[in-house]
Amino acid sequence: MIINIKNLKKTFDNGKIVALDGVNLQVDEGEFISIMGPSGSGKSTLLNMIGALDRPDSGMIKVAGRNLMKEKDLSSFRAREIGFIFQLHNLIPNLTVLENVEIPMFEGPYKDKMEERAMELIEYLGLADKADRRPSELSGGERQRVAIARALANDPSIILADEPTGSLDSKTEKKILEKLKELNKEHDVTIVLVTHDPRVASKASRIIEILDGKIVGG
Amino acid sequence: MKFFQLMLKNPFRNKIRSVLAIIGIAIGIATIVALGIITEGLKESTQETLRAGGADFTIVESNVSDMFLSTIDEGYIDKVDNISGVKESVGVLTSVQPIEDSPYFVVIGIDPSKVGLSQIKIKSGRSIKEDDEIIIGKVAAEKLNKTIGDKISIKRENYKIVGIFESGNIQEDGGAFISLKKLQEIEDKKGKVTMIYVKAEKNANIEKIREEIEKKYGENLTTIASLEDLQSVDQGLKTVDAASWAISLLAVVIGSIGVVNTMIMSVFERTREIGVLKAVGWKNKRILTMILGESLILTLIAAIVGSLMGVAAIQILMHINMGGFIRPVYTIEIFLKAFTVAIFVGILGGFYPAYRATRLEATEALRYE
Repeated sequence: MIINIKNLKKTFDNGKIVALDGVNLQVDEGEFISIMGPSGSGKSTLLNMIGALDRPDSGMIKVAGRNLMKEKDLSSFRAREIGFIFQLHNLIPNLTVLENVEIPMFEGPYKDKMEERAMELIEYLGLADKADRRPSELSGGERQRVAIARALANDPSIILADEPTGSLDSKTEKKILEKLKELNKEHDVTIVLVTHDPRVASKASRIIEILDGKIVGG
Repeated sequence: MKFFQLMLKNPFRNKIRSVLAIIGIAIGIATIVALGIITEGLKESTQETLRAGGADFTIVESNVSDMFLSTIDEGYIDKVDNISGVKESVGVLTSVQPIEDSPYFVVIGIDPSKVGLSQIKIKSGRSIKEDDEIIIGKVAAEKLNKTIGDKISIKRENYKIVGIFESGNIQEDGGAFISLKKLQEIEDKKGKVTMIYVKAEKNANIEKIREEIEKKYGENLTTIASLEDLQSVDQGLKTVDAASWAISLLAVVIGSIGVVNTMIMSVFERTREIGVLKAVGWKNKRILTMILGESLILTLIAAIVGSLMGVAAIQILMHINMGGFIRPVYTIEIFLKAFTVAIFVGILGGFYPAYRATRLEATEALRYE
């Protein structure tokens, strides 16, 4: 089990807003799950908890063998175990595709062969000829592929994708989702995908539904 | 990509803002450099004045704020001469006269028979003998475009140039010597001199001679053997030094405010990006280092630009008629000081923005529009 969450609670604004209200979730290594729910349901908060971007108030959360309630060095946990893909690509505009993919490697195992590793990933995502381009010169789908390459930089055990196709057209959306699926199948990376779109969610092998901070289905 | 390369790319994403920040700091640095060059020159020529004629020490009026405002009774020259160990002493009167285009022309009065004791070397012609004769320095000769046989008028009286000398002292080379008596007359300072140069016997104990003079005539006279001695007496040099430090401090304060402003804006604009860096696992220490590094890159460029500006400003000053008065002295310390100030400003101004960047909540930063 790569993700084990028990009775996880998280509130914002001094308890006025309950984002997670006792969530239980278990994910096995190599699974591709999607967390589906309307906006404000707590799905992004849950993703942020798994990715250790934020700390829960109470409950238990273990990811990749680490107890995130007690873990002190969350940044190196993120660097080694997690790859984030956001709705907006969030690439750094003044860096090239290659350099953007290198960014996470400053804190990871490929520190000494950054360029080699980044080139490998760019090739894998079919962007070899765009390595020296800047994000502004790429299409939306290409940018998101760069973001996937960046997420893979440090060889993470889990990819967390928050509405990764939210700003793409349906054709590009399909390609990106296929790439994620391929990644999951061929490289055994666990993928947790958050979306409000049932069509996107259906690409996963398991769908978790969340509403008002509680898992209601899946 | 090296981490340093990454830092180098960031400051120029907003070129105008960075260039403005650099200019702001560079002006402060330029002031420090220019002032340093002038101050060093001033110290050096003052030191040369003290050592004029190979004097072992100089006597000036005690409790005088500036060495050149000193006035001593001529009678002290003989008194000093009589002190054992003193080989000879010569009194000089220093004055500044407007001559032709030059508003500040240093004219020094000296006993014609004692010109030989001074450090000056007659390059051409001969030394002064009569009251209506004058010798001018080689810099003055060039500037006034005069040579031996020409006349110079001081206070409506004409003096015949009989020789051109060289001393290596900027004030002397840019000025002239006439007879002491004549200058006392012109300046209405009969029987007075500005200072007395004292030369000791070969094996005499200079400190002992100085002690004796201070003991006997301490109420009216002070002896100065080094620049350090002078700095404790001379208000002018003290003021210049204090002004130099005050301006440096001002440059640090203004520069830091500029850097803080520039870097806060830069961090603010990159809020989302910093969120991403946190999400991909960057440690706070690395984010702090990056922002501080960017700040230092700005101020180091400003140090280079400012140093060049400072040197250029001095060159311009040299060209507009101040040449005889300013002698630039470039020491490595001046530029070290400029770079130290720049590094200090870079760290001081960059720290708060860098700290703020590390305090950003990753989840908030990622939501930031």
